[in-house]
Amino acid sequence: MAPKFQIKVFQISNLVKNFTIISIVTLSFLLVFFSKSDLYLINGIKNLSSSIITPITRFISAPINVFSNLVDEYNKFRSLKFENKILQEEIVRLKKWQTLAIQNSRENKVLKKLLNATDNNLTLIKTASLVNRNDTIYSKLINLNAGNEDKIQKNMSAINERGLVGKVIDTTSNNSRVMLLTDPNLSISVKSISDGIFSLLTGKGDGKYLVSAFIKENKMPRLGDIVVTSGTAQIFPVDLLVGKVAKVEKNRFFVLPFVDFQNIDYVQIVISK
Amino acid sequence: MEFSKFLNSSSKLNIILIISFSISVNSFILFPNINNGFYVLFHLTLIYLIFYHYHYYLYFVALIYGILFDIFLLNNIGAHLITFISLLILFILLKKYLIRLSSYQIIFIYFITLIILLLIEQLLANLIHDYKFNMSSFINFFLISLIIFIPTVFLFTKLDK
Repeated sequence: MAPKFQIKVFQISNLVKNFTIISIVTLSFLLVFFSKSDLYLINGIKNLSSSIITPITRFISAPINVFSNLVDEYNKFRSLKFENKILQEEIVRLKKWQTLAIQNSRENKVLKKLLNATDNNLTLIKTASLVNRNDTIYSKLINLNAGNEDKIQKNMSAINERGLVGKVIDTTSNNSRVMLLTDPNLSISVKSISDGIFSLLTGKGDGKYLVSAFIKENKMPRLGDIVVTSGTAQIFPVDLLVGKVAKVEKNRFFVLPFVDFQNIDYVQIVISK
Repeated sequence: MEFSKFLNSSSKLNIILIISFSISVNSFILFPNINNGFYVLFHLTLIYLIFYHYHYYLYFVALIYGILFDIFLLNNIGAHLITFISLLILFILLKKYLIRLSSYQIIFIYFITLIILLLIEQLLANLIHDYKFNMSSFINFFLISLIIFIPTVFLFTKLDK
């Protein structure tokens, strides 16, 4: 009786194994097939990964994070004397600009009253802080600590004090994911301030520059021109600061973004009014 | 050290998987190559587990890490999951041929598998999700693989005693 029993157990365990393997393979292909849909299962997995897995991975990688911060602090400390000198010069320069800016602001208010113009302001949805970033391998993404519950939705714009940071590409209840401007998969429609030349910019892939993908009427902007969102694609609000033209070639130009993507702590999620 | 006696080599390799996954999905601005290095180490560990410690629980491991890598790095499920599952299926199909090979041949195939895996992931990300194929990133992975391959194999063989 004993050998018979053993053979039976072996067969069942083999059957279970094969069934599990086939189920996993089938599930994998189904997940790939439905990954871009808004299925409850896909959203559940994304929610779970951002709310549970992210804190765990941050905890495990904490020693390297501490080391990275220490090196950063040390580098900052080393350049303290030099930075101090630059800042003192900057203060003198900014004081002159401040006087001019106050005069311009008064003048602007008076002119607006005369023209009966309305401000093209943005509506702030939420100010969120950065949870972690995945911008080294593949895409340039950052995760924020605010999501659906804070009324953040897909395709909203993320900005900081320097200008446009990126676009919200995914949200869960308490987290959202922003694709940075420097990602080669994100396109933004922009215009140059001085000439009003319209073009499309994408990330170059090096994480530093944006490169023109399309230029309307093949007109090239000048070196040093400031580039802002044109608002034509109706994804980004109009007139958000993007960057400065840093290099012009025969058929394309490069833009250096105003935002320092290596030092993002807080971003504001906005929509146009 | 006492604690490590309670863990078999497969468990130790799984701990390396967890650590390398966690580090590779959290970017460090000052040291981007740390992310890339641990990303390559994750692949090396997974292939080693499949080659030398094959067990059907690895399908669950491939499923979970495949989904998580895809969500964290690509925001869409696809490239990593397909690659990991396909690697397991391929291993089952080619197992009988691999057993006949010498240790040097196996090491060579181990390295080739790693490079092909990294390449296919980039190609699939491009094909399925339209992510631009980044040649410089692939070359970076290749160079890191060249540097860390031998020390990692040495470490793993030490873990396996």
